[in-house]
Amino acid sequence: MTVQRVNKILLIALLSVCAIWLIIPFTMAVLWSLVDPSEPWTADKVLPPVMSLFRWTDMWENSSLKSALIASYTLAPSAAVLSLLLALPTAFALGRISFPGRELAKMLCLLPLVVPPFITAIFFTSLLFQIGLSSWRPGAILFAHSVLFMPFAIRILTVSFEQVRQDHIDAARDLGASHWARFKVAYLPALKPGIFATLLIVFIQSIEEFAIAFIVGSPDVVTIPTLLYSALGQDYVRPNAAVLSLILVVPNVLLMLILERLLRSANPTLSSGKG
Amino acid sequence: MKLRRGLLIIGLLTPGLGLILALIGTVVYIAVSQSFGYYSLNGTSEFSTEFWSKMAGRKAFKRSIQYSIYIGVFSAIFSVALAYPLAIWLRKPFAGSNFIGAVLKAPLLVHGLVAAFLFINVISYHGILNQFMQWLGIWSEPRRLQNDPNAYGVLILQTWKNMPFALLLLTGAVQSISDDVLDAARDLGAGTWDRFRRIIAPLTVSGMQAAMVIIFIGAVADFSFQVIAGPTNKQSLSQLMVSFKGRGDWHSAAVVGVSLMMIALVGSAILAVVARMVMRGRIK
Repeated sequence: MTVQRVNKILLIALLSVCAIWLIIPFTMAVLWSLVDPSEPWTADKVLPPVMSLFRWTDMWENSSLKSALIASYTLAPSAAVLSLLLALPTAFALGRISFPGRELAKMLCLLPLVVPPFITAIFFTSLLFQIGLSSWRPGAILFAHSVLFMPFAIRILTVSFEQVRQDHIDAARDLGASHWARFKVAYLPALKPGIFATLLIVFIQSIEEFAIAFIVGSPDVVTIPTLLYSALGQDYVRPNAAVLSLILVVPNVLLMLILERLLRSANPTLSSGKG
Repeated sequence: MKLRRGLLIIGLLTPGLGLILALIGTVVYIAVSQSFGYYSLNGTSEFSTEFWSKMAGRKAFKRSIQYSIYIGVFSAIFSVALAYPLAIWLRKPFAGSNFIGAVLKAPLLVHGLVAAFLFINVISYHGILNQFMQWLGIWSEPRRLQNDPNAYGVLILQTWKNMPFALLLLTGAVQSISDDVLDAARDLGAGTWDRFRRIIAPLTVSGMQAAMVIIFIGAVADFSFQVIAGPTNKQSLSQLMVSFKGRGDWHSAAVVGVSLMMIALVGSAILAVVARMVMRGRIK
């Protein structure tokens, strides 16, 4: 009796938490994105009277959504690759070489995460004006994203480099492997999950980044977050904002789930081939 | 040999850490210089404290400081206060606990702007909350909840977005406390509150501090929640800074920016110390 009661209370608590926390907000967003403009969804109706995908096709054809998608989805993978390449040498030094001040260097790598994003954005723009590069917007955003999200890349890759086993490297060297061959057999297997995780996390951060894209990029460069921001501000049309919100949130949730899988599989025994 | 090694390490650190230091260093340097009149983009560049003294006399600036601190402190406190009981509840796995954990952490995956949209959608004048309260008969007519003057909307959003982060840090800390310690306390007659105050709180204080500080820094510099869901008669520091920059007044924007950085720095130090004192039981 008591156990059943506790379970029942727990179940109700669980369902209501779920509903208030996620289901109601997202259901409302989906419903609003389906409202057909032929008949408005007024307060006296539980569901939109006419539902269609009109808003979705309309947004696709008649707004800057397409160019925003192109901008975001070229920017993010480029930033991910650039960030990875820039982070690799530092992560190698932090993960494989011991030197005085290494802990300090690790701390300093986190600096971009504590400076408020709008300060970085505004004074980076000011810097661009000072050095006469203010018309170089896409490149500037790419550079800023690659550097500002490098803390994640360095953090993840440092751990990966630490997991490379010295006896694997030594064995490869003893067997006469060249630099490249040693990298391929000893380093790469241990680094692979870290490399994928880095690419993915910088990609997600860059897709979501708002301050830099908004301040540095305006008015030429439109990304999905800046488009959503203007859809929530000066030209607020609720169904359109709902469409944009869903476009921004759904791919990211999927990518994050993949990321979690990757990070879980990034354990030393698996990636080094022995326990 | 030693020199070569040193050069190698510096060479390896340059593209990564070097670029980070160069970018953040330049950004902070330009912000501080511009607040004192240097690097002017549309006038003469010379040292002047005029921008600071003018800003200090502005009512809007003082209001922004108070308002941003209010948002930062309460967002941090609410997020941590809500995350603590949940972390303790989810310490031991039970049927459905993983699912609850996943649901609670889901907001981490939702973009701040999307969260703001979802929220104003629910509380809007003809939104589902208003209809529900009318249907229950508690409210006789819809109420205007959006952009409320006390910024409860912003605080709710900040808590929704940041609580999962606090939960993540605190779950790790709470789970690392061994059962033996808690059982021993129980055997010695400690009640729930005593176990929390004397064992869980002191042992999780560093995780809690980290959560407080990071959430505070994020919330004190909030822009998007404030613009979309915040009160219309108040501006956050970020919002004030962006509006000065929009008018081309870089020097005033720099004064606000430098103040914001100092508030974030000093504020998080104070919060960390106070949190430690409270959790260690020196203040009751």
